[in-house]
Amino acid sequence: MVGLSLGEKHFIQGGIAQDLRSDGRKRLTYRPIYVETGVIPQANGSARVRLGATDVIASVKAELGKPHPLQPDKGKVAIYVDCSPTAAPIFEGRGGEELSMELSVALQRCLLGGKSGAGYFHTEKSAGISLSSLVVVEGKICWDLYIDGLVVSSDGNLLDALGAAIKAALSNTGIPRVNVAAGASGDEEPEVDVSDEEFLQFDTSGVPVIITLTKVGRHYIVDATTEEESQMSSAVSISVNRQGHICGLTKRGGAGVDPSIILDMISVAKHVSEQLLNQLDSEIAAAEARENES
Amino acid sequence: MAGKAGATPTTYSPSPSTLKTKSLIFKANDVDWVRPDGRGFHQCRPAFFRTGAVNAASGSAYAEFGNTKVIVSVFGPRESKKAMMYSDVGRLNCNVSYTTFATPVRGQGSDHKEFSSMLHKSLEGAIILESFPKTTVDVFALVLESGGSDLPVVISCASLALADAGIMMYDLVASVSVSCLGRNLVIDPILEEESCQDGSLMITSMPSRYEVTQLTVTGEWSTPKINEGVQLCLDACSKLAKIMRSCLKEAATALEE
Amino acid sequence: MEYVSPEGLRLDGRRPMEMRQIRGEIGAVAKADGSAVFEMGNTKVIAAVYGPREVQNRSQQMNDQALVRCEYSMANFSTGDRMRKPKGDRRSTEISLVIRQTMEACIMTHLMPRSQIDIFVQVLQADGGTRSACINAATLALADAGIPMRDLVTSCSSGYLNSTALLDLNYVEDSAGGPDVTVGFLPKLDKVTLLQMDAKLPLDIFENVMQLAIEGCKAVANYIRELLLENTKQLEYRRGV
Repeated sequence: MVGLSLGEKHFIQGGIAQDLRSDGRKRLTYRPIYVETGVIPQANGSARVRLGATDVIASVKAELGKPHPLQPDKGKVAIYVDCSPTAAPIFEGRGGEELSMELSVALQRCLLGGKSGAGYFHTEKSAGISLSSLVVVEGKICWDLYIDGLVVSSDGNLLDALGAAIKAALSNTGIPRVNVAAGASGDEEPEVDVSDEEFLQFDTSGVPVIITLTKVGRHYIVDATTEEESQMSSAVSISVNRQGHICGLTKRGGAGVDPSIILDMISVAKHVSEQLLNQLDSEIAAAEARENES
Repeated sequence: MAGKAGATPTTYSPSPSTLKTKSLIFKANDVDWVRPDGRGFHQCRPAFFRTGAVNAASGSAYAEFGNTKVIVSVFGPRESKKAMMYSDVGRLNCNVSYTTFATPVRGQGSDHKEFSSMLHKSLEGAIILESFPKTTVDVFALVLESGGSDLPVVISCASLALADAGIMMYDLVASVSVSCLGRNLVIDPILEEESCQDGSLMITSMPSRYEVTQLTVTGEWSTPKINEGVQLCLDACSKLAKIMRSCLKEAATALEE
Repeated sequence: MEYVSPEGLRLDGRRPMEMRQIRGEIGAVAKADGSAVFEMGNTKVIAAVYGPREVQNRSQQMNDQALVRCEYSMANFSTGDRMRKPKGDRRSTEISLVIRQTMEACIMTHLMPRSQIDIFVQVLQADGGTRSACINAATLALADAGIPMRDLVTSCSSGYLNSTALLDLNYVEDSAGGPDVTVGFLPKLDKVTLLQMDAKLPLDIFENVMQLAIEGCKAVANYIRELLLENTKQLEYRRGV
């Protein structure tokens, strides 16, 4: 809970109404994004994203597993988020569990395209992460991707930051090439040889970005800080990919809103997503270049 | 499955329905196909509501949409736990759980945390929480049988139970989902359709106020398709709310007589 | 297994009495009152300090001194194999307690009665010596928060493998099963505040091993002192003094 006086509340609300927020931003401007890749050497891919004082780390770990019997041609992806008590004392003990769960579910919805995993047009690439590319031997072996998010420091807009961190971590991820021993047939478990030299890179161009629009008064803002979030009447998180298609949407509590406003929010999010995608892509490229240098 | 191995299975265990129908109802580029239960694409299942299903609760409701059967009971408002801080608005506590026999394969019958938080978010915007400060209202939903569109049915049923308990609300909350299968939008999907959907959209709305309290989308959607889905759901929500309202009226007149 | 080669080099190429590279950074969490990152080789931890502030649970309030609390948590991706342990398992509870007692001993708690200080440490990468890294990070974070302390408490571990005393064990050396001595040390007062050891050691060897760990603590203390001095200079510079 943020303790704000009446004056501070009015100041924030008034600023948003006049398109000049307390940190000098406009309503639809993000804070500067800072991306750092390869922060966790033990993982297959990792990234740290800083949005103002919000600081999150995402890591991707790949393990060999068995595909789900109903979907033998697909790998599995799981997203878990943890809120570290370093970010806020209320996350101590089990205090962060509720928020962690909410963020995990929202990220799964926004990035994995629902439990079915398939996109709307039946092409493999349409969903955020191509699950078909994770299969090693159909029905027998596949890669299980474990995506872990950790909130280190929190100053609002955790979902967008986590989404960006996961996108950066995925583009940083190298999955070892697996050679399957020939001759294994029938019910036998095929023998595999995991290469530790050759790595396959992910195509992350289809991974969407998440944009959370927070409604304060009659206007909505992107990238709200904790103070601004405390003044929200409702918030909608929309994930948009390169093609401008909606890949997931959740409304995060709050009061009811008119359907036309939601549709308007979607179009605003699509507009903002282009800038954010470009900015994020260039930041990721810069971070990768820095990592390769060192 | 257990039955396959032995020559004479001693118990009968139905194979998961999704296996049977996966190829049947779903062909990628089919524009015209028949839904497993013979409904039109934009036709909801017949809805059945009844209030007062649980005597001990301050309000309760039972809902049946085809095979989906849920029961929701509302307790309170009661005093908030001592450990909680003072609050000048009421608290809402939601819990959704499944029975062990709810799913085609016998499940664990555990709490569904994701649905619980979704139910909470859908209802909190509709309840006048200011009307019961310092207290808590508990909403317990139990899915007796899962037949698809579980969450929308739970939400609609919960708002009816809240109304039955006399909790002040701005409006009844009705919820409907659509699934995207191939090129078609299918309203109020059953379990078989949900298992092979490409995307889904769920709306919870307060029809008389024309407000959306919760909206979730999964899968990739183009904007026109979203518009179509939203419109479809909102229409269905307002119709559903009428049925819910008539159910409440029925209960009230029955009480007078 | 051979942990020290005939040439006197360890598995990661260090000499027996060599420490891993240490690196500290003050102010990693903007919202906290004090925070720091501390790295010892591949081990990396973040510590955040909140307080002194009002005691949350009134029954724990003490009228003559401050309440110090500590929580240790490991990120899911911190270990080699991905783990998903519930929070508050026995190991983290024990380490939380160790860190709390160590820090409490050096904080001047009597100056802040009826208040509470929270120390949260989060392990980002674990490669042996997380206990020591956490204590070092917590010291930096407490100093950053401006909490009065008797001295900077620093920590380092040492072990005894292949008849050689080794400083600052990494994960492979730590899991070799040999003795592992963790020391918490107050360099100015020249006092040991924490001493933990598993396995058994003859007394004369133990003395050597412990002395080695103490030397490690002193090295860490020098580094931390320099870091704090640099940080203070930066702060001074920013204020334009």
